[in-house]
Amino acid sequence: MAKARALDRRRKSVKNIRKITRTMELIATARFKKAMDRSVAARDYTKQLAKILENIGSVGADVSHPLLEVRPTRRTAVLVLTGNRGLCGGYNSNIVRQAVALLGQWKSEQVPAHVTVSGKRGISALKFRGIDIAERHTTFEDKPEFAAVAPIGRAYLDAYAAGQIDRLDVVYTKFHSIAKQEAITETLLPLAPPETSAGGTKANLASDEYEFYPSAASILEEILPASFLSRLFKCFLDAAVSEQVARMVAMKAATENAGGLIKSLSRQYNRARQSQITGEIMEILGGVEALKK
Amino acid sequence: MADAKQSGSIRCVITTPETTSLDTHARSVVLPLDDGERGVARGHTPFIGRLGAGEVRVIGEQGAGGEAVRRVFVEGGFVEVSHGVVSVITQRAVPAETLDQAAAKADLERIAASRATGDEAIATKLRELETARKLVRTASRR
Repeated sequence: MAKARALDRRRKSVKNIRKITRTMELIATARFKKAMDRSVAARDYTKQLAKILENIGSVGADVSHPLLEVRPTRRTAVLVLTGNRGLCGGYNSNIVRQAVALLGQWKSEQVPAHVTVSGKRGISALKFRGIDIAERHTTFEDKPEFAAVAPIGRAYLDAYAAGQIDRLDVVYTKFHSIAKQEAITETLLPLAPPETSAGGTKANLASDEYEFYPSAASILEEILPASFLSRLFKCFLDAAVSEQVARMVAMKAATENAGGLIKSLSRQYNRARQSQITGEIMEILGGVEALKK
Repeated sequence: MADAKQSGSIRCVITTPETTSLDTHARSVVLPLDDGERGVARGHTPFIGRLGAGEVRVIGEQGAGGEAVRRVFVEGGFVEVSHGVVSVITQRAVPAETLDQAAAKADLERIAASRATGDEAIATKLRELETARKLVRTASRR
């Protein structure tokens, strides 16, 4: 009896786990949709900024700015974006692996790195590996707000302008599509120069018409920090979307596994119960036979 | 200043990093540029301008009569005026009716009372002071 009962108990606990993972999957799906909507809504801003940058570039304004200048890297800053929670497959560990590799590289080049980590998972994993974390953020969940990201970005801009850092790398999970997310390292400072469009002649024609107030240079001065902040915000949004996708996929797999486990446990339980019944019948028959004699 | 009586409407779009907070048709739009306000109606020359802190006034298609005017406080950013479209790109856009006058005043006093040392800190303080003043002005104008 003991074996069958133990199997039954195990089956019940697996069923409970399946309920939990199934719920987590549904929650992650809902959050993913919301995060995705936010990410799509944020695209307009980036698009508009790019349009203005393109117009300024094509008007022939002198595109030189301290933020665009590439300096030799003497001090660097690394921002690592992870999740506050686990149970999302390889999401956090991929980021941590990428970050450790990057930091190892800076260490071998003897460049001191100012490390900022967002997410409890990343903080504990990097601390465990003996990495000195200068700043921690644990307030970013599935809905990062621009008002919360902007101060971090402005601090980086100030540090860059003051020469305290020569470079900023962000390690995060880029969201390509629902089937593909990738842990990458993106260099946000120095800023990549504004891209000139493929249809150059068309842009030129359009930009001839524009007047600039107060001047193209003054707008450029203001638009580059704005473009940096919007890129940084995009990293946070991407990380949030990717985390939900990763959790969705991981929990779907867990639910399916639990289903398989329940099936095989049920089979074992039925077999154990049957053999127990058979055993009992054999015992009774044996007793009857013994009494007959 | 463009002629507000000119017929036809323009589209006004206000975009923030998080979302497109306003997309509407209007008779004219008044923009708080860096160096003063500028009104835009249909047929305005295309331009790209830098915005200061202040309120964007979107005057509805029915004209400036009463409630048809929508006021949105923006904190810097840019504006692009092209054929029939005014796109405001800003980091923060708040409808004026949701602003809290008392909180804005308290904020202004706090900034005014703070001490700034060094060129950069002083420049930042002056900028913040200007923004706070404009915020109070927008909040108290009903």
